[in-house]
Amino acid sequence: MHPATPPTTGTQAVPVHRTPVRRRRLIRGLLAAVVALPLVLGAAGCGDDEQASTDPNAPVKLSIFWWGGEARAKLTEEALALYTKKHPNVTFEKTWQANQGYFDKLATLTAGGNPPDIFQIDDNYLAEYAARSTTLDLTSYKDDGDLDVSKFPESLWQYGVVDGKLAGVAAGENTQGLVYNKTLLTKNGLPEPTTGMTWEEHIAWAEQVAKRTKVPGTQDPSADYKAFWVWLRQQGKDLYKGKELGFTAEDVTRWFDLWKGARDRGATPTPDVIHEGNATDITKQLVVTGKAGTSWVWVNQMPELKKNTKDELGVIAYPGDPSGQWARASMYWSVFKGSRHKDVAVDVINFLANDTEAVKILGTDRGLPSNLDLRRVVSDDVTDPAMKQSIQVESDLAQKFGEAPQVPLKGHSKIRAELTKAAENAQYGRVTSAEAAEQFLTACKSAIA
Amino acid sequence: MALTTAPGPTRRRTGSVPTPAGRRGVGRARHGDGLAGYVFLSPWLLGLLAVTAIPMLLSLYLSFTNYDILTPLPEVEWVGFANYERMFTADPSYWHSVRVTLTFALVAVPLKLAAALGVALLLNRAWRGVGLFRGLFYLPSLLGGSVALAIVWVNMFNREGAFNSLLAFFGIEGKPWVNDPDWALETLMVLAIWQFGAPMVIFLAGLKQVPTELYEAASVDGAGRWRQFVAVTLPMLSPVIFFNLVLETINGFQGFTAAFVLSNGTGGPVDSTLMYTLNLYITGFTDLEMGYASAMAWVFLIAIAIITAIFFSTGRFWVHYSDGEDR
Repeated sequence: MHPATPPTTGTQAVPVHRTPVRRRRLIRGLLAAVVALPLVLGAAGCGDDEQASTDPNAPVKLSIFWWGGEARAKLTEEALALYTKKHPNVTFEKTWQANQGYFDKLATLTAGGNPPDIFQIDDNYLAEYAARSTTLDLTSYKDDGDLDVSKFPESLWQYGVVDGKLAGVAAGENTQGLVYNKTLLTKNGLPEPTTGMTWEEHIAWAEQVAKRTKVPGTQDPSADYKAFWVWLRQQGKDLYKGKELGFTAEDVTRWFDLWKGARDRGATPTPDVIHEGNATDITKQLVVTGKAGTSWVWVNQMPELKKNTKDELGVIAYPGDPSGQWARASMYWSVFKGSRHKDVAVDVINFLANDTEAVKILGTDRGLPSNLDLRRVVSDDVTDPAMKQSIQVESDLAQKFGEAPQVPLKGHSKIRAELTKAAENAQYGRVTSAEAAEQFLTACKSAIA
Repeated sequence: MALTTAPGPTRRRTGSVPTPAGRRGVGRARHGDGLAGYVFLSPWLLGLLAVTAIPMLLSLYLSFTNYDILTPLPEVEWVGFANYERMFTADPSYWHSVRVTLTFALVAVPLKLAAALGVALLLNRAWRGVGLFRGLFYLPSLLGGSVALAIVWVNMFNREGAFNSLLAFFGIEGKPWVNDPDWALETLMVLAIWQFGAPMVIFLAGLKQVPTELYEAASVDGAGRWRQFVAVTLPMLSPVIFFNLVLETINGFQGFTAAFVLSNGTGGPVDSTLMYTLNLYITGFTDLEMGYASAMAWVFLIAIAIITAIFFSTGRFWVHYSDGEDR
């Protein structure tokens, strides 16, 4: 074929007649290969596609996916190993990653028709997945007793119910926690904040801290949906009511104004630092980077915060009446509806929630154990002081908790992002509180429409 | 390339065979050659189909549906032009992202090209160590759209960053550049401009091709340096400028990584870095509105095609191909 080859008529005619035969064979072979390849791959994919056999000892491999840090991975792997030890036929394909990007990956896996049998999910996305029937309805398993939630607080397992279907089982319980820098306060002879302070008192306290220590007293939580939510509940409102929003533009304006007042008094950091706190993950919250006296988090995040600072930390409820808070499922375990081993997957979830040894291994990493009997056992065993603190606070609050709200609507993650955008817009002084509130409400309505 | 042109010479050669028998042979050979060509192309063709063509067509279809990723494909609903209508009439954040992207491209691309050309002119001389400098200026481009680079950038340009320390040295008070909605996009532009190495290398290659006789002739005619630059360098370089302009504009529109890293994937602060592609990503993967995101992607593709077409149609007024003028 090289162009430099001298074309001679003699040698030419022969190959022209002959090659096609050879070539055709080659082509046929290649085509066959090309056609067969997907079939072979498909067959390989179908190879283990038989219905779950009735033999209880048939080997089962379950995929399981969660987000979290290395500590959580270690504990979870240990607990799963224990399950395999008790049921040698069941093994796990474990995947975990950081929270950022987790839900992108989960969505992509689902779209590819290959979601994990068991996955961790939280209330930001539970409704999205339940509404599209990606999650298995666990109600029948609960009724049969294969999934035992009898030892759970009633409101905790009900926080997994979406449109009458049990879409997920609480992997732990947590609640909002205001974490403050104890060392900073004692060094400057300042009082520690206490649960039950009003929002105004909290801001006045933060102003005092800022004046004395030169560290802004409190992170401005106006962009934080969970603080907004607690505040709303204390005003007799809610984030959602049925399929609608549970608040009005006036409520949002009042909320933004409350924090505008705090910023004007110098109780909070400057807008760019507030933004930094909003945008960062748990390891760089302002209370641990020393840029603010408090951070607004979930109580089970205390140990993670403590790991990132030398200072002593304290944790209390958010300001206002603590009955605005509730026992929240920090995250859930859900089973993929199309899983080939649903029953085994449900059994694994049940094991992670109710097996004494497993729960002891998992500790309070995902929040307080859902099973109340085991929660007591675990609480007595805990040695980590930060973990102890968070258990203490949550147990103290347990009697004061209000009723759990409904699981957030589909579109919740969008609403969270829009709240951040509107609040920050007001913080940077680009719009008034009322304009920001209006902007937020418009965005919310299209998000849940 | 070699594979696609392979059947060519054969055809021409066999075509010269005069006998009828030979001609029949030719017909068959032609047929066989074509098929063989495709067979040899098949790894690439299959890749094109599986990775590009089919997903693209699928996304075109999805752009007319309410696909939300979680719903299985066969169950998605056809919604006609609803997604496109929403984009053009009912989505302020869409238009905001268009503005952000246009601002970014209109500022960053010309400045980047100017920087690339300027440095290329400086480096187009024979002085000692010029190779080292060419390498150093090219280095940032090698790092390309890397995440690591964006992270470094964020840390250099935040309140406690190196850039503010530098400013403080001169007694200037800095800003929290990346966390300030008025400056975050500008910070991204600087990052893009700083990576001018790739167009610079292409400019350098172009400069080397300008015949020295032209400069000699120009100086004989009494042209100064500036005149030489305007009358000789720029016209001779215009095809290269054109190439870089088209490429960098497309690149500029597609900027994603730095904005994603800087804003933790949100486009913040207050949507100031919400580039088109980032908005598309958030719509598709965070808000799970993949049908709508597909529509956005198609509009984007068409917009870039139109802009490129405009470049090509204006090209004949200012792009000079030295061999073309004699034709």
